[in-house]
Formats: sequence, C-alpha cells, structure tokens
Amino acid sequence: MNIHIKHIHQKLVEIFWQKEISPKILHEMIVTKSFLENQYADGIKEIRMGYHSLSLKLSLDMSKQDAEELLEEIQNIKLDQTAFSSKTWTLPVCYSKEMGKDLESLSKLHQMEIEEIISRHSTPEYLLYFYGFIPGFMYLGGLDDTLFTPRKSNPDRAIAAGSVAIGGYQTGIYPNESPGGWHVIGNCPLPLFDIHQHPPVMPQVGDKVRFRSVEIIEYEEIKAMVNKGEFNWSHD
Amino acid sequence: MIKLPAYIQFTQPGLMTSVQDLGRFGQAQYGIPYSGAMDRYAVAQVNFILRNPKDAAVLEMSGTGPEMVFESETRIVFAGAETEVLLNQKPVKYGEVIEIQPEDHVVVKRIKKGQWAYMGIQGGFESESVAGSKSWYPGITSRDRIIKGDSLCYLSEPDRYYPPVETKAKIRSDWFRVSTLKVYPGPEWDQLPDLLHNRILHKAFRISDMVNRMAYQLEEVIAHELEPILTSPVYPGTIQLTPAGKLIILMRDAQVTGGYPRILQVENTSLNVLSQKKPKEKINFKLLT
Repeated sequence: MNIHIKHIHQKLVEIFWQKEISPKILHEMIVTKSFLENQYADGIKEIRMGYHSLSLKLSLDMSKQDAEELLEEIQNIKLDQTAFSSKTWTLPVCYSKEMGKDLESLSKLHQMEIEEIISRHSTPEYLLYFYGFIPGFMYLGGLDDTLFTPRKSNPDRAIAAGSVAIGGYQTGIYPNESPGGWHVIGNCPLPLFDIHQHPPVMPQVGDKVRFRSVEIIEYEEIKAMVNKGEFNWSHD
Repeated sequence: MIKLPAYIQFTQPGLMTSVQDLGRFGQAQYGIPYSGAMDRYAVAQVNFILRNPKDAAVLEMSGTGPEMVFESETRIVFAGAETEVLLNQKPVKYGEVIEIQPEDHVVVKRIKKGQWAYMGIQGGFESESVAGSKSWYPGITSRDRIIKGDSLCYLSEPDRYYPPVETKAKIRSDWFRVSTLKVYPGPEWDQLPDLLHNRILHKAFRISDMVNRMAYQLEEVIAHELEPILTSPVYPGTIQLTPAGKLIILMRDAQVTGGYPRILQVENTSLNVLSQKKPKEKINFKLLT
C-alpha cells in the first residue's frame, strides 16, 4: 500500500492513500479499517472515512513515533480478497419532471434527451465509498462521465427526502429533507435512513448500488408498502 | 423516594432552544454528527452544582430565551451566556440553585454576554434518548428546537430534602475573557506557504454573522492557492479554508465529512471558549505543536 500518516495531535491521526477516487483504494481502506478495529479496539474511539483517508480518533495517546510504527504495521497487512465481500442493492427510482425538478435543465445543459439521462444514470453499478454530509447520505462513485455536472453555485434551501441527485462526478440520495447544491433528477421511495434500526442504513461501505427506473404507479405501490411497514430490503 | 414525571410547558419558545447533553458518539460511519452542548464548561457547571451525572441533559438557549411554567417541584440552575432570568417576575441570581414550586413561571430574557445559556434541572431532562444521546438534531431526534406550546419531561421529587447548597461560590466565567484559541496544524496545513502560516497565526479574526450550531464563519479573507481536496473526514473544531479564502470553524453539529482543505484543528477546551463568542468579537490562534 502506498500510504502515509499525519499526526494531528496525541488523540487524532489520519492515514492517507493517493489522492484519487478508486475502488482499489477503497478496498485497501476497508481492509485497514477492519484490521484496526480488530487489533486496536481499546485504543481507537472512532474511525472516519473520506475518499482517500481514514481518520483515527484515539482514546489512548499516540506519539509521532507510535504513528510511524502503526503505519509500518498497516503496510504489512495482507490484502485478502475475501475480506471484501460486497452486496449489490437495487434501489427503485422514479425519474420524472415532478420528482426530479432539475431533470429538464440538465437535459438542456447536456443536450441530452431526458430518456438518455435516465438510461445513463440507471445503467452503472455504483460503489458506496462512505456516508457523510447528512445522516444516511451515501457517497456513490461511478457516475457516467457524460453526466458530470458541477454543483449549483446557489444551493437550494430545501431538497425533498428521497431525492436522487447528481453533484460533480458523484450521485446520491437525500434521505431527509435538507438544503443542498446537487441537481435532482428523481426520487427513491425507500426509507434510506432510520435511526431506530440497527444499523440505521442498509447498504454498507464497499457495497454496490444500482438504480432501477420505475413508473409513478410502482413508486406509489412501494411507498405504500414502506408506510405500512411491509417493505423488505433485499440484495444480490 | 418518590419520583414523579412532571412537565415544563413552554409559553414562549425562545429563538433557539434545545435539549443537549455531551453528544452522540461512534455513529459517524452512518453520517451522524456528535452534536451535544456548544459550551461544555457551562454544562459541567450546572450539572456539578445540581450533583447530576456529567451527561445529564440540559436546556440550551441562544438569542432570546424561552418562557416556561413548571408543573411540579424541582431545582434549576443557569450558567453559560449571561442573561436576566425572572422567577415569578423577580430576578434570580446567575449560577444559583433556584427552588421551583408548582405553577412557577420562569422567563429567560435576551442574552447579554456570550452566545449560549444553559439551564440545568435536578436529575436532567427525561426526554427521548436516541442512539445513546438526548441531544436534539434534525432527522435523528423527533424535535430539533422548542416551539411554542411544547413541553419537556423531568422527574419531580416533591418530598426530597436537599441540604443547602453553597451559593457563595462564584460561577467562573473566565473563559469569556479569553480570545486566543489553541489550535493544532490540520491535515492540509503543510500545503500552505510559510507566508500564509504567519499571516493566519498573527492576525486577529472577527466572528462573522454566520454563527450556528454547525459552524462559525470568520470575516477576514486569506487569499490562497490551495488545491481542492477530495471529501475527507472532519470534526467539531476543524477549521476549513474555502476557495474564496474564508475560514469556517466547524462546531458541535458539524457534518462528518467536508470538501474544503482542513488547515487547523481547534483544541477541545478552546472550542468552548469559541462557542461563546458573538459576531464582531475578535479571536486569534496559537499553534500547538
């Protein structure tokens, strides 16, 4: 692994990989995270993830020297493929002008038919890199290059819960209503974040996510099942 | 000893009134922030005076405070930002244990000094605990701020005898006079040239009007040529430098990840100091290495 470590203070260090968004790096980070959680459960309070770093909040003091030693230990971890078991979740999305208020402006901007945008968005298999921004918000990598859209310079005050949106090279779903600067193209009827469930999210970091385009009728049916508590998550 | 659930009714909500404790930890992997009281010193004080557990839930108030009516006996204490508090129209002392009787009316006026005031209550609030904390946060707890007509539960012990509390002990508020924040170099600090290191460390910064539980933004602009970063972990106390050169100091409700370079990390106790600063007040940084 090509990594280095930054010692912020005695209780906070960050391990960096090369600065890029890549499945290989995510794999190495997941293996490292699980190694640290198993080996140093007592010394580490919490591990936070970004695209190319793991931030370690410590419960025991760590000197600069200790940090360098830890780095060496991590470099010797065997990258076992089996440690990376990944599920694929298929999420229904209703892509429409009503549910995706930016679908039309995106169509104009990219000079692409709405049907084409929907097809290019629901074809790839996305990789879940981490949760951030607001509770239950997935950072999904793997967006079709032609759909790259810079974030809005003036964020919207309120984006509806379930909104499926594009921001830069990423796509994601707003689990709850929130202000936001991404372009909304549809809505997912599933409860993506429920603090009273354990864990509160279904897809885990390293899992794959696909979107399946559904008509409004099916969307309403799924929503009704969710509301009655009859919806069951499933994955491949 | 009989403990009975009783309620505070809010006849006026105040500008930004919420229940907070020390926060919700270990859930960042799902995107859940720490939350918790902005000024932990003040919370420690009210809970210490009432002999509560350290993590007993308190009421946090900002701007103009609420008006409330208590259903049953309890004891309360105010600390943190200074404000006039009236018990049945009579002023009460800051930091003093206030004995509450049924139907007592408490009014918290506009905050005069500092930013966040706290009301501790005997035994702490009996509000919902979600994922290990009673701190309110939108999308996690069912409420995120008190609205008019709300009520909050506490346990009343009408028959309990409380030994007199030493009220002469003055509430310490020395952190209100501190303007220097201790900081550590953040992950991207090294990418700034020495010239900018010096500028940031020798400059007085003013707090802007953009002050809330998520972040405090500073007025001054530091022009720079830092490369953008990929979304990375952040914490309360992380200081981000925006492309436009603004410094944003993340506070207790901060997101778990951020997309701006993280130039400094505020030391824990200094975060309490910062929390009580108001717009236009000046701060400066002292680098710890």
